[in-house]
Amino acid sequence: MRRREFLALVTPSVLVMGGLLVLPLHRTLEWSLERVNYGEAGTFVGLANYGAALSDPRLGQAVLFTVGLTLAVTAALIVGGYLLAVMVNGLGRSKPWVLGILLISYVIPHVVGGAMFSWLFDANFGGVVNHLVTLVTGQDVLWFTDPWPNRVIVALNTIWFMLPFAMLVIIAGLQGVPGELLEAARIDGASAVRTHWSVIIPSIRGVLGFVAIISIMDILRTFDQLVALSPQAVQLGNESIMLYIFNVAFQDGGQQLGLGSAVNVLLILLIVLMLFPFIRGIAKEARQA
Amino acid sequence: MSVVQEKAAPAAVAPPATAPPRPKRRRKGSTYLVGGILVLVCWAMLSPVLWTAMTVTKPTDVAFLDPPVFFYEPTLTAFVDLWQTTLFYQYLINTLIVALLSTVAALVIGLPAAYALSRFPGWISAVLLIAALVFRALPRFSVVLPMYDISRSLGIYDTTFAVAAALVAINQPFSIWLLRNFFAEIPKELDEAAMIDGCSRFGILRRVMIPLMGPGILTAGIFIFLFAFQEYLTANILTDVSARTVPVFIATQLGQTLPMLQQAGAAAMLLTLPVVAFAFIAQRYLVAGLNAGSVKG
Repeated sequence: MRRREFLALVTPSVLVMGGLLVLPLHRTLEWSLERVNYGEAGTFVGLANYGAALSDPRLGQAVLFTVGLTLAVTAALIVGGYLLAVMVNGLGRSKPWVLGILLISYVIPHVVGGAMFSWLFDANFGGVVNHLVTLVTGQDVLWFTDPWPNRVIVALNTIWFMLPFAMLVIIAGLQGVPGELLEAARIDGASAVRTHWSVIIPSIRGVLGFVAIISIMDILRTFDQLVALSPQAVQLGNESIMLYIFNVAFQDGGQQLGLGSAVNVLLILLIVLMLFPFIRGIAKEARQA
Repeated sequence: MSVVQEKAAPAAVAPPATAPPRPKRRRKGSTYLVGGILVLVCWAMLSPVLWTAMTVTKPTDVAFLDPPVFFYEPTLTAFVDLWQTTLFYQYLINTLIVALLSTVAALVIGLPAAYALSRFPGWISAVLLIAALVFRALPRFSVVLPMYDISRSLGIYDTTFAVAAALVAINQPFSIWLLRNFFAEIPKELDEAAMIDGCSRFGILRRVMIPLMGPGILTAGIFIFLFAFQEYLTANILTDVSARTVPVFIATQLGQTLPMLQQAGAAAMLLTLPVVAFAFIAQRYLVAGLNAGSVKG
């Protein structure tokens, strides 16, 4: 392909991304160095917003909550996704049906799924799960006003809508494991558990890593489900980083757009750092291909 | 369950005759166990949807009772009220317009770019692909908050056009990666053969690639449509009333009085049912898309 042809094919996409992603990003970078309100020109304040962000205990709590949620959910997704993938992969003609059912939680908008979860758990809304938990434990769990129960339902909801993705990617990985390897393990008399642990899991390490990095990036951006599931997130200490940005930069009158933008910039730096191994791989491959 | 055994049977024949009947019986037992677990998992995954479906078909006075009511006279009052007392119809149309507009635009813009990126090695491609990867992972607010400001000063705030444009840009990185991975599986020899026959690059894309890419384009289209359909954050910030989408509407109904909450549930069901049907029909493509997306992992 000639260079001119390449540029002609790529230009529309580059223009769209340049105009609608790079330009806004530039604005965010500018705002992060200013004290600013919507619709007004900001005043340059240097790194003051970054200082304010890093010393704000509320942001510290938000980071703690988000990172905790990310670690717990990612671990659950890898383990649960693997077990589910192994079970579903062994199915025959019923596989499309099971996959269809399991995909439902993936296609429902997160804010709507969160609302559905809240009705399942809240005693005020005839929550059936809440009713069962109360019957079994004899205790009334306050799912929306007690920090830990609230964290549990947020985590459950996040696992609920991300599990299909993890399962499908792992199924793809399982189908790539060479049959001879499994046969060799069987001939050597390896048990099922041993085969999974020493043969299958090492050979799909790359796929599991991919699931982990995508899950981490997506859960770091947790926002939608909290709107429905944790109306008192700020008081409970269950505010995610994204919700913090929304609250300081948009909700509370847009007074602290600079602060929110500074947090955005910090988050972008963190994400680029996490993506670095992938970036290096792409750079190497694209040059050779 | 019988289906599971069919699949298991040939595998039991394949290995050499080391272990006769015993493992076979154990396999059967574990098959039932796996089947049982899967039924439970499926049921647990469906339960929020099922409970919502029950809640919105109950009469309002028993819908939110604690302890919950399991037997009732089903009614569609909540749906009728939703339709008559809110602008749900308008919100649904908005959601569809945004999803369709952004899907078509993202494909028209993304296809040529993805084709070029799959055929032109070098540092420009590497830089563009890395940029796309980073853009995919961006915190959404870092582009959407400035878009709010820009759309207000351009006077396009609260229009479906602004939301669709934002979503085209936001979903562009993902669709480019997905389509590029599909293109990469088509052998380059086809391009060369077409060029010998006198086809230009655009001709190849139009006459050879797009027909071959049918399933890939469908898969990418389904994903972009789905993401646009699900989007809450962008739509919430870029709309006020006239361009409001269904997820935003449902979120604003939360924390209201009970009849309104039941209407929100009805709206959730009306939004969910078509998507669920869609998931069943398009299941093959969703699986293919997630697989192709992971090829680069």
